[in-house]
Amino acid sequence: MGKNCTLGELLIDQLARTVEDDTLVFHGFGSPLVQIALHVAKRVYTPNLVLVAGATYGVNPDPPFISPTTNDWVHDRNSECHLSIGELFDLSASGRLGRMFLSGLQIDRWGNTNVTQLGRKTLKLKLPGGGGACNLSCNAKNITLWTAAHRSEPVKGKRRYRIVSQCDYVTGFGHKNADGITRRQLGYRGNGPQCLVTDLGVFDFDQDGHLQLNALYPHTTVDDVLENTEFEPRMKKEVKTVSLPSLEVLSIIRKLDPLRIHEKELLPGDRSLTLEEPNNAAIC
Amino acid sequence: MSSREPMALIRSIIRNRVNGLTVVGSAHGIDIDLLCGANAVSASQESYVGFEQDFGMAQNYRRGCESGEIEIQDNCCYTLVQQLRASIQGLPFMPIQSVRGTDFEKNHPSYKTIQSPYSGEDILVVPPLTPDVAIIHAQYADLHGNLRIEGPPVVDLLFAQASRTVLATVEKIVTNEELKRLGGANLPYFYVSYIAEAPMGAHPTACYPFYAYDREHTELYMSAAKEGSTAFKKKYLKDFVYECESHEEYLHRIGGEDTRVRLSSWKESADAWMELYKGST
Repeated sequence: MGKNCTLGELLIDQLARTVEDDTLVFHGFGSPLVQIALHVAKRVYTPNLVLVAGATYGVNPDPPFISPTTNDWVHDRNSECHLSIGELFDLSASGRLGRMFLSGLQIDRWGNTNVTQLGRKTLKLKLPGGGGACNLSCNAKNITLWTAAHRSEPVKGKRRYRIVSQCDYVTGFGHKNADGITRRQLGYRGNGPQCLVTDLGVFDFDQDGHLQLNALYPHTTVDDVLENTEFEPRMKKEVKTVSLPSLEVLSIIRKLDPLRIHEKELLPGDRSLTLEEPNNAAIC
Repeated sequence: MSSREPMALIRSIIRNRVNGLTVVGSAHGIDIDLLCGANAVSASQESYVGFEQDFGMAQNYRRGCESGEIEIQDNCCYTLVQQLRASIQGLPFMPIQSVRGTDFEKNHPSYKTIQSPYSGEDILVVPPLTPDVAIIHAQYADLHGNLRIEGPPVVDLLFAQASRTVLATVEKIVTNEELKRLGGANLPYFYVSYIAEAPMGAHPTACYPFYAYDREHTELYMSAAKEGSTAFKKKYLKDFVYECESHEEYLHRIGGEDTRVRLSSWKESADAWMELYKGST
């Protein structure tokens, strides 16, 4: 039987697979892919996950559907209990937040993220801001980075890369900043970004804390990654191709998100993409 | 963001031609963007201003920042929490185990690194934040001013405890007995300086259980905001702020009772709730 899925569903599954069981995990606002991934993780991979819903701070909610904004009451329906904003950030500050998910309009080779502004010395574009990303990037035990807009088509011959050499502004701290200061030197509790899930592939960070390609998707190639990245990412010895989500995972996603809110994170051209299981796929 | 923003208060601030404001908050959207669209803001210490994936960037806010009209002093949620806590506790500063190494440290000269007298390690300290005014929209208050916020209060309680003046609007003013029957106050009256009853005072953001987020109206707002600041004034501010002499007039202009009924239909079923969020965008 041929199993197929959309790119959004594949990304959700890949994000869900980065979560460990028995940990406290939080997602921020404006991140439906991650939000759905945590529900998938809780129901399929990591049942003892403590899932804290972004913006409503509901613990282990069971929402009837995903709505277009994160602090809608729909997202904390059937929660067991609630945290306050201070409590959630206190948990992170003291090293008890197992994993946080962060993104950016720029993500650089060391895993720094920028959601504050484009333009280093002169402001070119004011971005919405990072919420609590700056704080959580330092303390959360592990970080999963993601973006659904790695692919950067040239506009008037010029690309605006999402995955860049150096962020114009460091909103969230990665493994080291442009001054060469590392998180160890700063004494941070968190291990920093562990992986980056994009619309082109799955990356991790090597011993130096540098971005490294780990796996591709059935429809993407190393050339796609090189072409759409401002610098040359390092390569794992063997770059695998991920397997598609199981039918169980797909049915959870489709039931939870009938409005297909998560597709708004994807590039318009990627929304109608259908992927098919390749031969000899490996689980990544 | 899309819930319980004090929109009636903000419209009234704009109508009263208040400007030169420094705004500070955690995650916001149409509330701050509306103030920016009316040129009421001269500095922003917000941690997020936007419409998430729903409508994307906050256009008026962005324009104001990029033109230099609004001085950008972005903050982060926990830094803000710690600064409010310093104020609430009467402390000269609060330590925080993050921020160093990011550009927030460089852009905030008031943050200082000190050495822990106990472990000797470097630690960042941030100054207290005592806003002149906090504005809040809640579901209920009693006649004495005790406030009941239902659902996530987010940073509202900390802001109320730290601010010099607290202005609150509520969906309904009830007796203290009734308030206790509803579950009791979560902000005692002595923090609250002024209250006013403003049903649908958070519109177009949600104030559950009374009404859901008005996505339709927000879409209309965004299409005006995208056209530029002059178009926004003509196509939105004029109709929904400047020409509304009262909150009642605003309620009339957004569709009156029909709109209230439409937005309270979320209670009927998950399908009815979802129906409110189906749309063209």
